[in-house]
Amino acid sequence: MSGTQQETHQETHQETFEALRGQLREAAATFADGPDALESILLGLVDDVDRAAGEPLEIFPVCHHSPASAIAMARRLRQKQPKVVYLELCEDMAPLLTELRNCRLPVAVQAFATDVDGFPPEWSPLSVVAPVTEASAEYQAIAYALDTPGVELVLVDRSSDHVFQWDARRSQSDDPAADAGEPDTSAADEEAALHGDAVGVEIGDLRPRFAELEEHLLRHGKVRHWSEWWHQYVELPLGDGDHDTYRQVMFLIGSLFRRLAPGDPHRVRVDEDRERYMWTRMREHLAATGTDPADCLYVCGAFHAASRVEEFGVHGTDTYRISPRTATTWQYGLIPSSHAAIEAQFGLAAGSVSIAATVWAKNVKRTRVEPYRLEGQAGQTGTKKTKAQKGKAQKTAPATAPAPATPAPASDKLTGFLRQPPVLDRLDETELLGWSVEIVRAARRNGYLASTADAIAVFETSILLAGMRDRAKPTPYDFQDAAVTCIEKDTVPGRRDVRRLVEIMMGGDRIGKVGYDALPPLARDVHDRLAPLNLKLQQRGVQRALLDIASRPELQQCSDVLWILRYLMPHGTARPIMGERTLGERPIQESWDVALGTHQRALIELGYEGVSIEQVLEQRLRRTAYDPQATAATVLKAVEDATLYLRSRRLADELGTRALEVLSAERSVDGAPEVLRRVRRLLAYYRTSEPVLPPWIESFVKTGYAHYCTLLPTAFTDDDATVRQVSAMLGFLFSMESLALSLGCDRTQLELAVAQSHPRDPSKTALLWAAQQQLGHLSRTDLRARCDELLANPMVLPAYPRYLSGFVQALEPVPGLTDFVVEAVSNAFARLPDTVLLPWLPTLITTLRSGGAELAPLLIREAGRIFPGRLPALDAWVPPWQAQPEPEAVPSAAGADGDRRSALLVAHPATCDAVADLLGCDGTWATEDSHHPAGAALAGRHPDTAVALEALLTGA
Amino acid sequence: MSDLLRAPAEIKYAEELDWLESIDDGPKPFSWRLSPKMIRVFILGSERSDGLDREIAQKWFGDRSFVERSIVTLASDRGLLLIGDPGTGKSWLAELLSAAISRNSTLVVQGTAGTTEDHIKYSWNVSMVIAKGQSRESMIPSPIMTAMEGGAIGRFEELTRSTSDVQDALISILSEKYISVPELDSDGIVFAKPGFSIIATANSRDRGVNDLSSALKRRFNFVRIPVMTNKKSEAEIVRFRTEELLRRHQIELDVPPTLLDVLLQSFADLRASAAAAGSDDEKLESALSTAEQIGVLEDAILHSNFFGERALTAHTLATSLVGSLARREPEDLAILNKYLHGVVEPRSKDEGGSWPEFLEGGRDAIATLS
Repeated sequence: MSGTQQETHQETHQETFEALRGQLREAAATFADGPDALESILLGLVDDVDRAAGEPLEIFPVCHHSPASAIAMARRLRQKQPKVVYLELCEDMAPLLTELRNCRLPVAVQAFATDVDGFPPEWSPLSVVAPVTEASAEYQAIAYALDTPGVELVLVDRSSDHVFQWDARRSQSDDPAADAGEPDTSAADEEAALHGDAVGVEIGDLRPRFAELEEHLLRHGKVRHWSEWWHQYVELPLGDGDHDTYRQVMFLIGSLFRRLAPGDPHRVRVDEDRERYMWTRMREHLAATGTDPADCLYVCGAFHAASRVEEFGVHGTDTYRISPRTATTWQYGLIPSSHAAIEAQFGLAAGSVSIAATVWAKNVKRTRVEPYRLEGQAGQTGTKKTKAQKGKAQKTAPATAPAPATPAPASDKLTGFLRQPPVLDRLDETELLGWSVEIVRAARRNGYLASTADAIAVFETSILLAGMRDRAKPTPYDFQDAAVTCIEKDTVPGRRDVRRLVEIMMGGDRIGKVGYDALPPLARDVHDRLAPLNLKLQQRGVQRALLDIASRPELQQCSDVLWILRYLMPHGTARPIMGERTLGERPIQESWDVALGTHQRALIELGYEGVSIEQVLEQRLRRTAYDPQATAATVLKAVEDATLYLRSRRLADELGTRALEVLSAERSVDGAPEVLRRVRRLLAYYRTSEPVLPPWIESFVKTGYAHYCTLLPTAFTDDDATVRQVSAMLGFLFSMESLALSLGCDRTQLELAVAQSHPRDPSKTALLWAAQQQLGHLSRTDLRARCDELLANPMVLPAYPRYLSGFVQALEPVPGLTDFVVEAVSNAFARLPDTVLLPWLPTLITTLRSGGAELAPLLIREAGRIFPGRLPALDAWVPPWQAQPEPEAVPSAAGADGDRRSALLVAHPATCDAVADLLGCDGTWATEDSHHPAGAALAGRHPDTAVALEALLTGA
Repeated sequence: MSDLLRAPAEIKYAEELDWLESIDDGPKPFSWRLSPKMIRVFILGSERSDGLDREIAQKWFGDRSFVERSIVTLASDRGLLLIGDPGTGKSWLAELLSAAISRNSTLVVQGTAGTTEDHIKYSWNVSMVIAKGQSRESMIPSPIMTAMEGGAIGRFEELTRSTSDVQDALISILSEKYISVPELDSDGIVFAKPGFSIIATANSRDRGVNDLSSALKRRFNFVRIPVMTNKKSEAEIVRFRTEELLRRHQIELDVPPTLLDVLLQSFADLRASAAAAGSDDEKLESALSTAEQIGVLEDAILHSNFFGERALTAHTLATSLVGSLARREPEDLAILNKYLHGVVEPRSKDEGGSWPEFLEGGRDAIATLS
């Protein structure tokens, strides 16, 4: 189009709307008693329409989920065949659009970033989704552009990075809603949460931003929510409008909402910035390719078509500078979406997107417009209409519906549209009857006591309701109301109420599916590797997998994948029903509940982290291990997981070395029980499966031995360290002792540590005694004597149970003490007064249950061995500890001590005699010979041996 | 009108109904006096877009679709059951509907534990029976039977309060639309005329006392009326009811809008605190419904009219609020005391207005009670 032509074109528009301007001026004067704000608003609206319509680059205004937009778009594309289509969608999402053909819509294009650079770290992960439904104008544009040779599709809206750059949170700690829509994550519904907590962007966000305006429109439109208003007053009248009417009306609505929106300044600024951004990009593209603007089509929300920024238009100013993106690395993919998810994210009424889809299908059939569809678009069968939708094609007949009327002769499309009552579908009885029957059947299936009589009542009530609301034909919303009135009673018998059933019937919630080819490599890999299971993994829902690994060893691979998925994915994606994975165990049979289709989004998002699940798992394990908060216990867990799921000795060694570092830096003993448990398990595993122990674990034991020896005295006195933790330390020291000593540790260190420990707490004291007993510093008899002493002393008696708790915990490091603990507990039962015993009993039980789950069986087994098995035997039964005083006590009576004592007496006989006299003892000195040990006699009998032994010992 | 303590809707709004009937050119089902659209206008008030010459005030506040569904149900052959919590305006809606449809909202059966089948069908005038034998003259028709004979709307209040056997007497009335009188040899059947239907109300708090049989359930369309949560609508209801009250008592008293705001705000505060309360002891026994609010205001108005200085003050309002809401001796008083000191006191310092006087009145009332 040449310059002159453009001018003429614009002039024509000026003239075209002159008549309307005049009428509006008059109207303003009539209603507002003179020229004022009303006039400027009304005329401003016309100016906006005029400006947008006169733009050489054809602007195609759309509204999201509007079948009328989609039909108008299809019609216009067929007619105009533009060479370039500019689309209001994040420009960095462009490469993904070709993948749409592999998906069943609705799906959402997602930009995802975990490595955040340039944004506050707490925002991570960043996620932007742009859902695409089949009944949308943008899909028509995409399908046309991608499937028509020589047509270029250019996305012009700001990148995902800018979405967050311009986020309100940056400047103020406002609500986290991004500019393009309010993410509503409150929806509890699983389907509604399909997008996770991503920020939604959508083409053609068109809704009053002025609550009072919306309320007013709803009230006067006699409708309940915005979607219904749109359906009633824009969608239906525009359904059959020609291109110019459509465009002008959409411009008008966009302008109306824009002018009547005081809105928050941030949102307005973002909107204007986006317009500047888009026009700058378009001009750049036009200049770079030299395309004639007349061959282009710019698809944007009607709201943006009524823009008044200076950059607007092909001839707009070039003053806007696009800010660079941050260094954040963005990943892109397609994730499944659903009608419910879209409704929840963009605050639409429940069911409205489904109804839009139904209307689209019907309009396509009725208007015979041939819609565009990506070649090989997956999910063709998904568009199959439900029985209720299979109405015959309708003729159109005028009906009365209130529309803002402007009393003036028509001279342009807009005036005509505003003046004339909209064209409505004629009442289609067959269709309504079909719906009525269908809903009753659905209600019956869901537990309602609905019958044919209800179908009749629903039918009748729908017509009556529509009549009451000035509609010639009941809309799906009227029908929904009627069904609720007639079928819903005081309680909902099943999971779904009638309102929901109608929504399902009207097309229901459609959940999109990302096709195999459009999946990221990781997800494809998972599907490939699980193929031997012969499951339809793409399907939603839980599927049972049976893995008989013993007879089909190749299934071992699948098992590995499933275990990793269980580790990485949300709960419920892969759930083992039978089978477990522990160190050193070989699976024989496993059975799994797999719901990969349901959690497709999570799998795709996992795909942003790496190319295979092993890689992702390795990254995650590394991240855990190298976390600044990591403890020796958590790192050991990572080691164990690496061995379990990845069977990677390399990673295990690396993480093990890290565990060593973390342990040496640790100053608390909080993780001791966990560390002990894991090291024991890993040691057991390496001893059975590897020829030699990995060097890291040897060092770990060595370091751990020294480490815990050092911390032991402090831990015994520290009030923060619990008995369990100290007992775990001792457990480590005693059970790893042989290995540690073989690696060069010194036992003296342990003995010193024990000797330096002076606990005050009774339970820790008991623990210390147990340790001393294990080290041989305290005999069983002494231990018993100490306990007896405690029981005999009324002052410390109340503390006795706490000593017992210490002994119970001591079973971990000193399992040999079991019989003694049984004895101590039995003594407690026998001798403690009720006032002490009874309050303590619940504590004993709870301690045993929570802290000593693995110790209780030991005790019980031992008790079973000691106590008589039958009741009659009890009378004659004597506890073993009471029956055996002599055999143990005798040998120590005449030992080396006796010898030394007598030697002393012999050396100083005078002292002895004096003492004896003083005491009145009248004894005589015995001969020395009788005190020779038995060994001496042996030496005397074999002198040669004795001499040789002497030579050997003295090293002579 | 003035000699009735409370005029039924059809008398109270007789003039308005007459006018609506005179301009109504819409199709009317059966023998209805107004078309469904006009009934909606009568109940929900007129809009400018309705194109009426005079303004019709809104009489019932709530979602438009409830009214539409109710009207449409009555035009079908099912009964209407309004179900909801106490104080949600079920009976008022029922009264307005029957007044608009048949100009008679007094054909009411009150469901109680003592309601018998005779109250729903008919009974006999014993002396007449002795004198003349059983005949149509000696029969006493129930309100429902009268409604059937006249093609009007019969009302059944608190349906779930009456026992199941009594409820089930409605089944045949709703499906066959006649009552047979076996005692009469001839003329033993009373048929319903077109236009007859039943509006029943049920309290959802009574669920489980006398549950409806499924046979009866399917003869009723249920319209559930939710509790009002919209502050703006609530303010309108309180204002509307207060005006009505003043008119009824012929009281010339000015209710300052600021005091209305004080009342609404204090109820909103108390509701919020009840919602946050952990146990029953921490919240007021009262449900704090809209009806309760109106009660408080009514009490205050009457008090200031007869004992006060013929002007409503914040002091009186606070006294009335405390008096109405303090039902349990230590607990409720403690909560109100806490409310006055924790919420009203800072507010009266910050905002001033009527709040300081309200605070003082509340304190006085609590001091009197405790």
